[in-house]
Amino acid sequence: MTRDAIKDLILEIIEDIDEDADFETLQADKPLRDQLDLDSMDFLDIVMELRKRHKLQIPEEDYPQLATLDSCVNYLEPLLVDA
Amino acid sequence: MHVPLLIIGGGLSGLAAALRFARFIPDVLLLEQHARIGGLNSYYYRNNRLFETGLHAITNYAPPKLKNAPLNRLLRQLKIKRKELDLHQQNQSEIRFINKESLLFSNDFSLFNAEISSKFPASHNGFQKLLQIIEQYDPFKPLPFISARKIIQEHLQNELLTDMLLCPLMFYGSSIENDMDFGQFVIMFQAIFIEGMFRPGGTIKDLLDLLLKHYTSHGGKIKTRASVKHILHTGKTVHGVRLGNDEEITCDYILSTIGSEETFSLLDEPSGLDVLPRLGFVETIFELQPDTTLQQGYDRTIIFYNAADRFEYRQPQTVVDFNSGVICMPQNFQGLPLASFKEVRTTHLANYNEWKQLPRKSDSYKAAKDDTALMSLSMAEKILGNFTQNIVYRDTFTPLTIKHFTAKKSGAIYGNPVKIKDGDIGYDNLYIAGTDQGFLGIIGSMLSGVSIVNQHILPRL
Repeated sequence: MTRDAIKDLILEIIEDIDEDADFETLQADKPLRDQLDLDSMDFLDIVMELRKRHKLQIPEEDYPQLATLDSCVNYLEPLLVDA
Repeated sequence: MHVPLLIIGGGLSGLAAALRFARFIPDVLLLEQHARIGGLNSYYYRNNRLFETGLHAITNYAPPKLKNAPLNRLLRQLKIKRKELDLHQQNQSEIRFINKESLLFSNDFSLFNAEISSKFPASHNGFQKLLQIIEQYDPFKPLPFISARKIIQEHLQNELLTDMLLCPLMFYGSSIENDMDFGQFVIMFQAIFIEGMFRPGGTIKDLLDLLLKHYTSHGGKIKTRASVKHILHTGKTVHGVRLGNDEEITCDYILSTIGSEETFSLLDEPSGLDVLPRLGFVETIFELQPDTTLQQGYDRTIIFYNAADRFEYRQPQTVVDFNSGVICMPQNFQGLPLASFKEVRTTHLANYNEWKQLPRKSDSYKAAKDDTALMSLSMAEKILGNFTQNIVYRDTFTPLTIKHFTAKKSGAIYGNPVKIKDGDIGYDNLYIAGTDQGFLGIIGSMLSGVSIVNQHILPRL
């Protein structure tokens, strides 16, 4: 999966969690949670959707690596190389 | 049979937990000992119509734009659309201390604030300070018990107002006598006074059916009439359950929503929890002729009353304490589809042991139920005006009824006074959610199920 495809995947998952999420002003290097009003419960949905869609098992200690859109892409790129 | 997650108890916390889990991992099994789901919030049929149990009003109303409000978080977590619930807000409710004072409140907090300022002017500034503390307080931080009564009284300097603030919050969710933990007070204050009350346009059956429909659509399974006889375990690791019919089901995780003591008894282990008095309740439903117009207080949704010199929220010495109670008129929500019925529902504190001592099959139990209905009626009529002549049907639930249908120890609807906020009772793969975890009310109990699944189970599977 390309970096852009991974970015789209994350945004699609977030849109699924909150259909009113506003991506216009989203800064890729800033924490998603603060910008999109997501709480830790919503955040878990991203992890679980990745698992459901791509059979990715993300260990709890790696959750911080999903904090920003950029860090999500960096973290997921090697894991989704064949996806 | 083997499942990754087994949930014991098909009440709202169990249903919400099951639905949350099934959204991502469909192999979940929900066990309910009765034929019907819902636990405390269920229904039954009499006279060709459905009667709700438990539900008066749902607390935690929130408009859609408040994304972090408990109601909206819950809907997102369960992926249920708001319009599926058809929400109707309360008209207005009242705290009435007879021959003393009355305070109105609605889902618009400015009404309550204005009522307090005009009726307790000396406490106005203290109340504003208390509101600031409530707003800034983190009720989820683990702290030892802090007396809410003490903090409120310090700010308001008025025992009557302190009692009046505590009365609805205690009746709608306190398992502790005459006080609350300050964190619990903050949660309940927000849920009832700041957010407010609503109900769905349909019955509780429609809400339960909706949850079940979502759950099964994800592939979740449910077994009703399935009582758990034992939780199978080696040391602190659980392996599964043995049912009443001796069937064994194995699993990786168990979430129990039946109460902490009740769970330990299925493990055949002592709980080691402190034993404090459990609060029992009686409730009477008076069904009225549909065209009945109540003389006073006819548009109120809920009236929390006290007729005694001081408000006492504790286990009474007799079967029922009629000095205080809750009167609910479930038709009084805004824009409800016109119901073909009208009801007045009354709730009072009761003593489980006093009820239990009455021989169940004898006339004395039935007589005590009838007395309860009539005493309760006379209290309600003091507030609403006479409506005896309009009653077409009535039914009374005692703490024994509640124990029978919900398996709650001593029929105590708010469970063990000792709450286990993180759901961890010392086992590797068994957690508790629901009443004894400590989130109360319909939204609270559902969030309890969801948050324990999120915190302990989903990330580990």
